[in-house]
Amino acid sequence: MKSARVLIYSMEGCPFCESARSFLRDKSLDYEEVHAPPGSSQWQEMKEALGTGVLPQIVIHGEPVGGYAHLVELEASGELYRKLGVSAPRAEAVIFDVIILGAGPAGLSAAIYTIRKMMKTLIISQDVGGQLAWTSDVDNYLGFSQVNAAELVKKFEHHVQSFNVETVLGNSIASVQLAGAVKSVTLEDGKTYYGKTVIIATGGGHQLLRIPGEKELAGKGVAYCSTCDAPLYEGAEVAVVGGGNSGLEAALDLVPIASHVHLVSLTRLTADPIYVDKVTRSPNVTLFTLWEAIRVVGDKMVEGLEVQDLRTGEVRLLPVEGVFVEIGTMPNSRLFIETLATNPKGEIFVDMECRTGMAGVFACGDVTSVPFKQVVVAVGEGAKAALSAYNYLLTRN
Amino acid sequence: MSAKVKIYSTPTCHYCKQAKDYLDEKGIDYDAFDVTADKEALAEMKKVSGARSVPVICIGDEVIVGFEKGHVDRALKALG
Repeated sequence: MKSARVLIYSMEGCPFCESARSFLRDKSLDYEEVHAPPGSSQWQEMKEALGTGVLPQIVIHGEPVGGYAHLVELEASGELYRKLGVSAPRAEAVIFDVIILGAGPAGLSAAIYTIRKMMKTLIISQDVGGQLAWTSDVDNYLGFSQVNAAELVKKFEHHVQSFNVETVLGNSIASVQLAGAVKSVTLEDGKTYYGKTVIIATGGGHQLLRIPGEKELAGKGVAYCSTCDAPLYEGAEVAVVGGGNSGLEAALDLVPIASHVHLVSLTRLTADPIYVDKVTRSPNVTLFTLWEAIRVVGDKMVEGLEVQDLRTGEVRLLPVEGVFVEIGTMPNSRLFIETLATNPKGEIFVDMECRTGMAGVFACGDVTSVPFKQVVVAVGEGAKAALSAYNYLLTRN
Repeated sequence: MSAKVKIYSTPTCHYCKQAKDYLDEKGIDYDAFDVTADKEALAEMKKVSGARSVPVICIGDEVIVGFEKGHVDRALKALG
């Protein structure tokens, strides 16, 4: 066997071989490479020496250490530098038991459970509260007949903070590395955090209509947060697109403020009957069920919404100043779509224990394929993901 | 003399509250306008931002629609 300090057995077109190479280059560590495509004499040599035919294989000072994921793990623990006899470029990284991505109901609920299991926990999130921040009141959370969403978020946040959990807020995630025993999360500011498990609770964002005019007039009459922006439409004629709970809640936010509310829904109203009842009793609401929004009209500001009857094809222009889009959520799964299995909507598939299929990686809440995007569902799924992560660590240690 | 930082908001908007909390946390002085109560401020907000959406945060010459910490930080840095 060769005696280079770091030796990589690799082949062309193998993604983890390239990951290992670029990882070493990033750390300014020299390496030698042996091209060992399966069947070659180099590959035979490797197989005999290391007892495996899987590529890449990394050997340090003659000692086989495994593949790319093992390399990342060695680096995170500082062991790589000790093996190489060089000083580590930084203090040894802390390895968390769990990194929770997201601080909405799912992520915060997961945190309560991981902390109480004495898992060393880190929460990384853009903000606290997730989509609850767009909601006015929550009427269907057990124990609260009606609670202001912001207050509910505060209660969740205080509960988690009472355990002094480490939290990194306000920074976007640049990349994640989920394979192997130690996973890493790198933020836009360049800092990297390491964890034995990751719970993905990144939630969802607004589903867009994807019709002409929508993007151009976003914030200029096209609104995605009725709680925030409804008061700006006093005496105005507005449209709400969406026949689910969010759509009808938006309509009800607007009923006392706007002069008239047009409610446009592709399907029959799917919201809870309690909302449907309230909306249909409101004198200043016109229902357009089985109508589709096809174009937002306006130059600098919204001046109208074109809608089309799905049955007859008739097109009408609603003379509205505001278009509130409430057609559901879109999962924040962009970072994971290459490595984890998702459904056509991009929602991460999880099993009944919130496992993603990647060892040590769990997901919960609106980012997953679990149906019914409700606070109470997210909270329950968060608890499940945390307990699954705990069980996973028990079986590994 | 007007403050260098202005924030236009509605009382029910959680992002507006988060933005104000963030400025408080950083010890930044600002003028806050509730555009539901102050029609002049609403008109001014629409004029400077071209938007009908809250929060609108003005930091120096920078006009930010919505609340995003990174953007606010950059604008505050530019202000010095």
